[in-house]
Amino acid sequence: MLAALRSSADLPVEEAELAARLALGIDVVRGSLQRLRAKHLVVLNEEPEAIRLLTARGASAAKVGLPERRFLDALDRHGGALTPEEAAAEGIDGEERSAAIGILRRRGLLEDGVPFRRRGASAAGPDLLPEEVVLKQVAGGEEEVDEAIASALERRGLLRTERRSIKRWAPSEEGRRIALPAEGEEAIGALTPDLLASGGWQGRRFRPYDVRAPVPFLTGARPNPYVAWLEEFEEILIGLGFEQAEGPLLETEFWNNDVLFMPQDHPARSIHDALSVDAIQGHPPPADLLARVAAVHEGRPMPGAAEPIGPGWGGRYDPAIAARPVLRSQTTAVSARFLARRPRPPVRMFSIDRNFRREEVDARHGIEFGQCEGILAEEGTSVRDLVGMFRELAEAIGIRELKIRPSYFPFTEPSIEGYVRHPRHGWMEIFPGGMFRPEVTGPLEVEVPVAAWGIGITRLALVALGLSDLRELFADDLDALRGGS
Amino acid sequence: MPRAVLRRDRVIALLPNPISDSALEDALFASKAEVEAQDADSLTISATPDRLDLLSEGGLALHLQGVTGVASGVPRYAPARARRLVAEIEVDPSVDPVRPAIAGFVVRAPDDAGLDTGTLEEAVRFQELIHATVGRDRRAASLGIYPLDRLVPPFRYAAEPLDAVSFVPLDGSVEIPADRFFRDHPMAARYGPLGRSGNRCLTLRDAEGTILSLPPILNGRAGGEARPGDRRLFIESTGVRDRPVRESLGLLSVVFVARRWTVEPVAVRGPGPLAGDGRSIVTSHEIVLPSSTLQGLAGVRYPPAEVRRRLEQVRLSVRARSGGWCVEAPPWRPDLLTAVDAAEEVILAQALRPEDGIVPPSRTRGRRLPETLFRRRFASALLGLGFAAPFTSILVSEATVRRVPGATPIRLVNPVSAEFAYVRDRLLLSHMEVLGRNTRHGYPQRFAEVAPVIVRDASAEPGAATRYHAGAILAQEGAGFADAASLADYLLRTVDAGSVREPAEVPGTISGRSARVRVAGEPVGEVGEIRPEVLAGIGVPVPVAWMELDLTALGPLLGGPRATH
Repeated sequence: MLAALRSSADLPVEEAELAARLALGIDVVRGSLQRLRAKHLVVLNEEPEAIRLLTARGASAAKVGLPERRFLDALDRHGGALTPEEAAAEGIDGEERSAAIGILRRRGLLEDGVPFRRRGASAAGPDLLPEEVVLKQVAGGEEEVDEAIASALERRGLLRTERRSIKRWAPSEEGRRIALPAEGEEAIGALTPDLLASGGWQGRRFRPYDVRAPVPFLTGARPNPYVAWLEEFEEILIGLGFEQAEGPLLETEFWNNDVLFMPQDHPARSIHDALSVDAIQGHPPPADLLARVAAVHEGRPMPGAAEPIGPGWGGRYDPAIAARPVLRSQTTAVSARFLARRPRPPVRMFSIDRNFRREEVDARHGIEFGQCEGILAEEGTSVRDLVGMFRELAEAIGIRELKIRPSYFPFTEPSIEGYVRHPRHGWMEIFPGGMFRPEVTGPLEVEVPVAAWGIGITRLALVALGLSDLRELFADDLDALRGGS
Repeated sequence: MPRAVLRRDRVIALLPNPISDSALEDALFASKAEVEAQDADSLTISATPDRLDLLSEGGLALHLQGVTGVASGVPRYAPARARRLVAEIEVDPSVDPVRPAIAGFVVRAPDDAGLDTGTLEEAVRFQELIHATVGRDRRAASLGIYPLDRLVPPFRYAAEPLDAVSFVPLDGSVEIPADRFFRDHPMAARYGPLGRSGNRCLTLRDAEGTILSLPPILNGRAGGEARPGDRRLFIESTGVRDRPVRESLGLLSVVFVARRWTVEPVAVRGPGPLAGDGRSIVTSHEIVLPSSTLQGLAGVRYPPAEVRRRLEQVRLSVRARSGGWCVEAPPWRPDLLTAVDAAEEVILAQALRPEDGIVPPSRTRGRRLPETLFRRRFASALLGLGFAAPFTSILVSEATVRRVPGATPIRLVNPVSAEFAYVRDRLLLSHMEVLGRNTRHGYPQRFAEVAPVIVRDASAEPGAATRYHAGAILAQEGAGFADAASLADYLLRTVDAGSVREPAEVPGTISGRSARVRVAGEPVGEVGEIRPEVLAGIGVPVPVAWMELDLTALGPLLGGPRATH
């Protein structure tokens, strides 16, 4: 095909002509040309063309005459005057009659008024009306016709326009350049095991491939972007000497709240904010720990102590509430469990995990949300270490502007909130933290100060991943996850 | 955070100079309050729940006076010379089962003009904020304000038979019997149960029997309507416990203290947690702040003069004592419980700067939990096999649970919606949802996840255990049991675990084409073909093979660590 094109004197060449020259079916020719085109060896020159054709009514009119001609003929038969009834009897009625009368009057061949009278003396009409000329030309396949009259005939439904393109082909630059195999020599396509085994490839030419041609679309698996980001953040913490901890997602209220000195009637513990589960019975914590926590809540001295740690929340502490299961609402519960195992200071711990709150789901809120919990427990740990850690973490994710404001959490004092300035989102509250209260460390028998924080990691991930909707983190669109679409 | 819309003019009136928008924002930067919006007439302020006093015009102005240096320390609010008690509350034992705690105080205007409309409105608005917060919608505490000069103390707090009570409600003009009030009045519909037990209701009357209020529902018109010009007001609070009652009274007093009213105690006679001379309600409490505590938390030693300056700036008073300070915390600062709270006042009185932070050299070794490293091996292996990696919620929909016959995940008692109504016990449930949401994409679809599930476990402290599963789905023409089983075999081989399969009935799978996988005799996983009716329910047109391994069970069998919780 390429050889035939290259040898053509008159380029570009129509498909039909190529088919005729090579004595191949038109479909074969088209297929070959398309393959050559995919390899950038030929170029297509496609010219749109409009062709006028007779409609079925047009074909009929060409045979029996246009209505206006038939009207003129009928006038002749009736001596130059025709009543509407006579016209109807001649078979010219309705729309056809209106069209005929209109045209004949515009051409000055018919008087106004009824009955219809021929204008002028001429007994016979013109030999050919312009409409008849055009109709005949179209029927004969002529392309140059009077455009205004052809359009009018088209509006009358006698002609139609068909648009099509004429495809003409020529070799491309590369198509002219590449070497074609000499007659009789067969270039090697796929390198087969047979060819390799026989050595039949030796001394032969390899057919060159078009290295720019499209290839099959491959998809695979790649790490979940949210999980991958969380793991990167974990690496930062590990680098700072933090060890990982985990805790159950379904917790008792004791670990989720009580041990953190959250009053048992705290609004965040209500049925409106915390998610409770059906038909599950939890167990109270070890009795000695429970007794210490109860004492702290009630403002009594812990067993064996002379003085109370503080005035507590007053009222009576209810151990039945302590055993109630609840979906964990803060990763601080993990810190409490970790400290209850009495790790030997110095301690640096982190936990990045899911928590739950009873919240309508939208772009900024989710029932499930991630927190990055961290604690520093060591002799001499102070609020300055906490601020230093905020600064370190902010810088690790590329944020340099940080400001610190006072805040409040029932389990820390002082409580602070670190705000960072994001280039796009402005100031964002990202780092809440504080020093665990003696009411928290006392019952856990922790003897060194503990700095703690609970970063809203989901929010931070959104910012880092350039997303605006929380729900995108939970996206499970497989095309996107496979790296497709 | 709690928020309030304050009248700007009433804050400004207590400052020597008007304050610009930006100066106000700066002045509050190092406080627990924040300007959310402001215009010529109003300030929308939010504050952390421990600093509700900043949500009244009076409380905010006191703070601003301190920050701008025009006043310092706790303002004086006790009468110039000690007076005889002006009022007492007698508590009848009948209140005990309903609402046993009551306390109060009297405020006296600084001049003959007495109460002005603005202060009355401020007090009423702040009272409602206290009801909504500390008062837990009046359950824990509710306040009442009364014109003392038109009443005859002592007052009597009792639970009286309904048929002995009739009064003109504050918003009414005719006297109605209590039973009608409880039946018809909108306030009774809302708060009635808090002030009533059986056929008795709580009443607060003066010595002549005039009804001040039916606590905690509504004041009476005759005894409970404070008006402009009143020079002395009696303010009380009732509740079930002493602490919220105390806090609510202390907070409300700041409105009057800021305008130089004096505050006098009201004694409480009879039973109840707050019986006594009432002085503890109106006097400051003292907190000992050892300098070691302050220095430990701050990480820096402040000169004594600096400690004093900072505390007085935030309107606390202080005197030195051996080894530290004694901090005087007024009644409107119930957040100050112990030394650490006083220390916070010093540390945060001026903003902490990022450069104050220190990053001490780490003396610890960072590491991941061995369990999470173990899980990551499976996640990597699945990724390597080309399984896409969704991150799914642990909560699944009611529809999903209904679609998988035999599934028994834990149900939420108070779900936000049916879409998140159950806690998955198998990843399978979440993964059916993933398949259902991806039917528009082509097949094969292969995805996997290593993630937590929660399963019933009576031996676990919360009554259920968090376990980590590796779950995988193959949805494609020709997918079947063997695909799932070979995948489980392969994954187990990657950790050198020899496994056997045994027939098992697994929810959501075709009977006879599902199996339990055991390692060292212990169940560690399940494999199977998903039932066609499950697939039809989610619109999946190809067969689906599924496998799920319980990594929390598997780890210890291979000599790995047990879960730490």
